[in-house]
Amino acid sequence: MSDIAIAALLAGTILIASTVSVEIGLSVALIELLGGFVVGNAFSIDVPSWLSFIGSFAGIVLVFLAGAEVDVPQFRREWRASISIGLVSFFAPFAVVGLLCYYGLGWNHRQAEIGGLALSTTSLAVVYAVLVETGLNRDLVGKRIMSATFVTDIGTVAGLTILFIKPTIWIVPFVAASIALIVGLPRLSPWFFGRYGDRVIEPEIKLVFAILFLLMWLGDRANSQAALPAFVLGLVMSSHYVQHRMEQERMRVVAFAFLTPFFFLKGGMSVSAHALWANLGVLAILFVGKMVPKFGGVYPLARRFTAPHATFTTLLMSTGLTFGTITSLYGLNAGIIDRTKFSLLIAVVILSAIVPTAIAQRFFQPRAGHDRERVGS
Amino acid sequence: MPFERILVAIDGSEASNRAFGKALELAALAKADLTALAIEGPLPAYAATIAEVDEVKREKDLFFDALASRAREQAARDGIELTVVVRAGHAAEVISSFAAEGGYDLIVLGHKGHFLRDHLLGSTADRVAEHAACPVMIVR
Repeated sequence: MSDIAIAALLAGTILIASTVSVEIGLSVALIELLGGFVVGNAFSIDVPSWLSFIGSFAGIVLVFLAGAEVDVPQFRREWRASISIGLVSFFAPFAVVGLLCYYGLGWNHRQAEIGGLALSTTSLAVVYAVLVETGLNRDLVGKRIMSATFVTDIGTVAGLTILFIKPTIWIVPFVAASIALIVGLPRLSPWFFGRYGDRVIEPEIKLVFAILFLLMWLGDRANSQAALPAFVLGLVMSSHYVQHRMEQERMRVVAFAFLTPFFFLKGGMSVSAHALWANLGVLAILFVGKMVPKFGGVYPLARRFTAPHATFTTLLMSTGLTFGTITSLYGLNAGIIDRTKFSLLIAVVILSAIVPTAIAQRFFQPRAGHDRERVGS
Repeated sequence: MPFERILVAIDGSEASNRAFGKALELAALAKADLTALAIEGPLPAYAATIAEVDEVKREKDLFFDALASRAREQAARDGIELTVVVRAGHAAEVISSFAAEGGYDLIVLGHKGHFLRDHLLGSTADRVAEHAACPVMIVR
């Protein structure tokens, strides 16, 4: 199939995914992953290089946006209570899954690290949706869960950036540029956005994209990944975006209309149905490998910090989606894991988005305590 | 007095508007307390980004704010004090449990008549009638 034919097929899939998402109320990312899986396996399409390129960039844009969505003032207030849950939520599954992959499944140490990282995540967006739905996002418990999720995500992106670095001279410019941009962009942006913002040609989005491409290039040269600086860059820009919602909205529009669909489609297309079918036992082991340490590590702390919703908290901290997909795709793109291992990791990531969330909502969801009551006469 | 606390389910549909009109008439006749309950559907399940959740939430907030405002104005025209409550969840479950918890002695709701869904799963009205602990008035 020619590149343009693949592009047309994928564009149609993206359109269908968006409309299905609106109709059935399911995340568009999940449907895009599923769409990619169906298209990739039904048409036996190999992921073209242009799709890999756009997908890789979209992954970094997603990380940046995730950082920009963090409520920093809330985190500053709650970090002491949340840091233990967040760190354990990262380290426990990372260590257990990593060891399981290495000793139990015979993966090499880099593959085991990818496995551990991909399954250590907690999905900020899945957690956020559940908390908003229950009204808990306005309670102390909800704020602590969100902050803990953020800590876990920091662990994942830090691991992704640091673990795979090979010491070369390029680490120096990568680190220097990262620090300079993290320090400089919040200072530069008020002037730059004020001077060039609010135009249809979107110089402010181009500035962010140029910076992210620079970080990706330097990260690549350093045999690393730009996830951590991209996330922190988003984080330091979050207060700017709070004051300039329209800028953030336009950035999201560009990202979600064009970039992220290709990221999730690419993820789905790289999943092999045959590999999943042939390794259902391994899939189950990896899923349990993520859930058990999340429960063993988070639950005792949740009983202390988010009582009386310890089980609910633990289940939410066991979710994963975007960062798990990003990590797995990084492993595949970098040649660290093969398509079979990637397929297994993505399947577990998707299962971890659905199963703990569904159990939490069905059996442990606190009753909505925030009715919007209005009295009129 | 036959009814002291009436609960009416509203969602902005024609069927629910008819039910709300009847509930206002009943509340005026019985001099009963009237509460309008609106059920907010779920946010995008298993979202990958906060933006996706926020957008749907904003849309829902706008819709339910407008719905509550219209209901309040209509009740005010009839001289009735109305409490509007918006809750998230499964419609039939939430209506039944909210009525039981609030000690309501009548639930009023419309019947939309969705042919396929009604025959496969039963309508919301059917399920509320089955599970509610108080009388249920279904307005067609």
